[in-house]
Amino acid sequence: MFEMFEYEFMQRAFIAGLFIATLASISGTFIVLKRYSLMSETLAHSALVGVAVGLVAGFNPLWIAVLVALVSAWLMEYLRSSFSLYSDAILSIILSGSLAIAVIIVSLGGSFNNSLFSYLFGSILSVSYEDVITILVFGTLSLGFLLLFAKELYFIAYDEEVAKTSGIKVWLLNFLLVSVVAVIIALSIRVVGSLLIGALMVIPTVAALQYRVGFKKTILIALFFALFSVSFGMSISFYFSLPSGATIVLCVIALFVLSLILNRR
Amino acid sequence: MPISFKVPIFDVKGLDFNVSGVSILSNISLEIFEGEYIAIIGPNGGGKTTLIRILLGLEKPSAGRLKIYGKKYENFKEWHKIGYVPQRASLVDENFPATVEDIVSMGRVAKRGLFGGMSKADKRAVEDAMKKMDVLTLKDKMVGTLSGGQRQRVMIARALASHPKILILDEPNTGVDIVSQQRFYALLSKLNQEEKITILFITHDIGVIVDDIQRVFTINQKATICNNPKEAMSCEEMSSLYGLDAHLLYNHKHEH
Repeated sequence: MFEMFEYEFMQRAFIAGLFIATLASISGTFIVLKRYSLMSETLAHSALVGVAVGLVAGFNPLWIAVLVALVSAWLMEYLRSSFSLYSDAILSIILSGSLAIAVIIVSLGGSFNNSLFSYLFGSILSVSYEDVITILVFGTLSLGFLLLFAKELYFIAYDEEVAKTSGIKVWLLNFLLVSVVAVIIALSIRVVGSLLIGALMVIPTVAALQYRVGFKKTILIALFFALFSVSFGMSISFYFSLPSGATIVLCVIALFVLSLILNRR
Repeated sequence: MPISFKVPIFDVKGLDFNVSGVSILSNISLEIFEGEYIAIIGPNGGGKTTLIRILLGLEKPSAGRLKIYGKKYENFKEWHKIGYVPQRASLVDENFPATVEDIVSMGRVAKRGLFGGMSKADKRAVEDAMKKMDVLTLKDKMVGTLSGGQRQRVMIARALASHPKILILDEPNTGVDIVSQQRFYALLSKLNQEEKITILFITHDIGVIVDDIQRVFTINQKATICNNPKEAMSCEEMSSLYGLDAHLLYNHKHEH
C-alpha cells in the first residue's frame, strides 16, 4: 500500500492534494451556504484560459491560471453588483465564454493537447516541485483568510443584511472570498483538473450537511470527506493508472450517497 | 413628542426616498429617544420597511438628514448599539448548519476582533441573551427544527447578544402562531420596561398597539406621528391610512 510513497512524484501529489482538499472543503462550505456553488465551476473554466495562455506563451500555467481566475471572480462580482442581471446567468455567460476562449487558444497552439488533458482532469504525475511550493504559499495565505474571517463569513452566509447592519464590511469580505476561491480553484487544477474541482469544493459540504449538525462539525465532516477522497482517489489513480481528478470525484460522490442513505428522513 | 434634552437615537429631518423617479418616502421628520416603545403601522407599499432600512444604513436617502446618536449616519460606527430582526427572521433555511447557540453567537461577531475567539464576556452575553429569550434549553438544537415562535425568539436573542440600545423589528410575527405572538409581545414589553431597551417595530397587529405602545408612526409615503396611540386607532385615522379594510379590522378587534 505504502510503496507508492517511494516515488517522489507521489509524495508531491499527496502534499499538494491534501492541502488542496483542506482548502477546497473549507472554502466550499462558505460557497455552498451562500448558494454560490456554480461559481466554482465558472472559475475553474476561467482558470483553463490561464492554463491555455501559459502553455502557448511558455509561462507557468498555474500562475497565469491564478491571475485569470482572479480577474474572472472580480468581473463576476462587478457584473452582479452593477447590473440588474441574474447571478446564475452571469456565471453561465462567463463559463461558456471562458471555455470558448480556451478552446480557441488551444486550437491555435495545436501541439500541447496532452498537457491540456492533465489540466482538464488532473494528473498526479504532473505535479512539479514548483507547483507544490506555489500551492503551499498561496494556499497558506488563502487558508489564513478563511480561518481569520470564518465567523464573519458564516454570519454573512446566514443573513447578509443583518451582518451588514451589525457593522461587518460585507462587500469587502464577499470580494475577498471570491478572490480566495479563485486562487484555490486555480491551484487545484493540477491535481483535480478544471472540469472536476467544482465537485471537490461542493460535494463534501453537501454530504456533511446531511448529518444536520452545527457549523463547526459540518466543516470538520466536509474536511474529513475531502481528505479521505483525495487520499483514496490518488491511491486508486496510482495503482490503476487513472486520471486523479476522476477517481477523487467518484470517491467523494460515493461518500455523498452514503451520507444521503445514512441520514434519510 | 416627549420633551427631552437628550440626544435622540435617530434624528430624521425632511427625508425623501425615490426609486427611478417614484417617491417612496416624502419629507419624513421624526426623532426616536432612548427608552421609547414605538410601533410603525401603515399599508403595504407605504414605505415602512424602506424607512427602517434607511435608519439601519441599508438604503441611502435621496434627500434630507439622518443623524444616529448625534452623528451623521455616514460617520456612525457603533452599529452594535442597534439590534435588527428582519421580516423573514423566523423563516429560516432548514438545511443551514446552525444550532441555536451558533445563531445567537453571531450577535457577538462584530464585537470580536480579527483574531478574537469567544471571550468569557462573549460567552456570558450569548448565554444571557438566550436566557432572556427563554431559549437556553434549546441551545444545542438545530435552528431548522424549531417552531416559528422559537425561531423568532432565537433571532431576537441574536440581536440582544450585542447589548443593543435599540431593537428594530420588521413585522416580527410573520410565520408565527397566535399563542407565540402573545408571548412575544409580553417579552418585548419586558425588554422595554426592565432592560430599558428602546423598541421600534413594524406591525399590522393593530390591537397590540393600543395596549402597550407609547407612540405610533403611521407611514404612507408621509409620516404621521401619534403620541397617544389611541388617537391612531380612531376609525377616521385607520380608514384614511388603510381604506375600508382597516375600518372592518378595527371593528373586529373590539368585538372580541
